[in-house]
Amino acid sequence: MSEKTDLNISVSRDYIKGLEKKVSDLNTLIDVSAIISSTLDFNTLITLIMEKAKAVMNAEACSLLLYNRVTGKLEFEVALGENADTAEMLKKTITLDMGQGIAGWVAENRSPVLVEDVSKDSRFFKEADIKTGFITKSLLAVPLVGRGGLIGVAEVINPVGRAPFTEYDVEIFQTFCTQVSVAIENARFHKDALEKERLHQELELAAVVQKSFLPPEPSLIHEPFELSAVNIPAQKIGGDLYDFIELKDGHIGVLIGDVSGKGISAALYMAKVISDFRYIARIDISPDRVLNNLNAMLSRTSLSMFLTAIYMVINTVKEMAEFSIAGHPPIISIKKGVVDIINDPSGPPLGILPEFVYKKDDLSFDAGDRLFFVTDGVFDVTDCNGERLGFGRLSEFIKGHASSEDLMKDLLSFVEGYSVETSKTDDITMVEIRRR
Amino acid sequence: MKTDAMEIEVLSYRGIDVLKVYGDIDLYSSPGLRKNLISIICKKPGTLLVDLSNVSYIDSSGIATFVEGLKNMMCYGGRLKFIGLPDRIREIFSFSRLDKVFEIYDGIDQAI
Repeated sequence: MSEKTDLNISVSRDYIKGLEKKVSDLNTLIDVSAIISSTLDFNTLITLIMEKAKAVMNAEACSLLLYNRVTGKLEFEVALGENADTAEMLKKTITLDMGQGIAGWVAENRSPVLVEDVSKDSRFFKEADIKTGFITKSLLAVPLVGRGGLIGVAEVINPVGRAPFTEYDVEIFQTFCTQVSVAIENARFHKDALEKERLHQELELAAVVQKSFLPPEPSLIHEPFELSAVNIPAQKIGGDLYDFIELKDGHIGVLIGDVSGKGISAALYMAKVISDFRYIARIDISPDRVLNNLNAMLSRTSLSMFLTAIYMVINTVKEMAEFSIAGHPPIISIKKGVVDIINDPSGPPLGILPEFVYKKDDLSFDAGDRLFFVTDGVFDVTDCNGERLGFGRLSEFIKGHASSEDLMKDLLSFVEGYSVETSKTDDITMVEIRRR
Repeated sequence: MKTDAMEIEVLSYRGIDVLKVYGDIDLYSSPGLRKNLISIICKKPGTLLVDLSNVSYIDSSGIATFVEGLKNMMCYGGRLKFIGLPDRIREIFSFSRLDKVFEIYDGIDQAI
C-alpha cells in the first residue's frame, strides 16, 4: 500500500507509522532528559523514569532492580504495574543472585535480553509471579551500567496494545537505560554529597562537645604554680586529652592522656576516660591508686582500646608532686637549666592488664622549675622525606632552648616547622607545669 | 602516609605460624593487619610469632590491633610473641611499656 504526495514520492503507510513512532520515541527520550534534570532526589527520580519507561514501551509493567555491592545481589527498587503493593512485596521478599533469573543473567553478562515467551526460557525465575499473582509473558531486560560499574537491571514486561517487543525496542530501551544510568549515578553522587555534608556538620558538633570535656581554659594559675596546655587535634575530633583538677588541701591534679586510635571511637573513649578520671580523682589523692582504679574501669570494657597517661598531683603548699606514668612518653624536666627525662616508674597503658599495679614517685619544685608532658603526636611528625622527628630530637631542642620564657610556643613552632610539608596525622598535646 | 605500603606474609616455622609484617602499621593499614591476625587466631594456635623486623613505624591503632589479638589468645591460653623489633619500634614499645604486655624476643629461635 502506498499513497502519492505532492512531491510525487511514494512512501508506505507503515514507513510513515514507523517514522512517527521513532519521532515519538525521540521525544520521550528528550522528556527523560528533562526529568533527569528536574530532580536529584533518588526515589522521586527513579519512579518518574520508570513510569516513563512503562509508557514509552507500551508495557503492562516494568521493574528496576538495583545491584547491592555489599551482598552482590539484585534487589527490587521499583515495580510498576496494576497493583501498587507489588513493589513493596517484591522489595521485601525477593532478591536475585548474579546469574539467577533473566535479570540475574543480564546483570552477569552485561547484555540485554529480549524474551518473547518466558515459559520457554529456562532462565525465567517464576517466584516473583507466584508471589505477586502477576503473569509475565514476554519481557525485555537491559543492564544499567555506569562509570562505577553495574548499577542494576531495568525490565519492561508484556507489551500492551502493540506488537511483541522487537530488536528496535531493545535499541530504544538501551538508549533510554543509558540515560537512566547517568541519572541514577548523579542522584547517588548527590545523595552521597548530602550525607557527607551531614556527617561534616555532625563532626563539627562532636568537636564542640568533645572540647567541652577539656578544661574551659587551657591554663590554671594556683600560686606559685602556673599550668598551661596546647591541644591540636589532627582531625575535627581527637583522642588526646588533658585535665587540670583542683583537689582538696591545695592539691592540683594534672592529667595528660592519649587514647589509642583516632576519630569518633577515640573521641567517645576519651569522653569515658575523662568522666571516669574526674570521678576517681575526687575520691583519692594518690596518683598510683587513681591510675589503678582507672585501669580497672577501662579494662572492664571488651574493647581493645587503651590509654597512655601521666597523672601528677601537685601539693602547692609543700611545693612537691607525686606522679604515675602509664605507657606515656616521659616527663621532660628543666631544673636550674638542666634538662632531665623522667620515665620511671611507668607501667603499661591503661585498659590492657586489669591486675597491673602502678607505682608512683615524687619530686620537689624550686623556683623556676618546669615540667613538660607531651603526647607522641608531638614527636611522631614527619618531614617531607618521611623521617620522623623522634623523642630524641625533641629533647635536644628543649635542651637548646631551656632558658626560653615561651618554650611551649617555641616547641610548637619547631614541630610545625619540621612537618610543614606533610599533613598532620596525629593529635598534638603539650602541658607545661611551671613553678614561678 | 604510606597507607598502602603495609604488606603481610604468613609463614610457618617448625610448625609455628609467623606473621611477617612489612611497612608502616597505622590507622589506615591496621584494619588489614587485624583481618589477617584474627583469621589466624580463629584457628587457636598455641603460639603466634609476629615478625616486625621490616616495620618502620607503628601507631596506637596498630598496637591496639595487637592488644586485641593478645586478649583473644589469652582467652584460650595462646601466646603472642614479637620478634625482630627495629630500634624505632623498640623505642615505641619501651615508651609504652608494652614489654610488660607483650612477649618480645630478639630472634625466632629465642622465641620458640
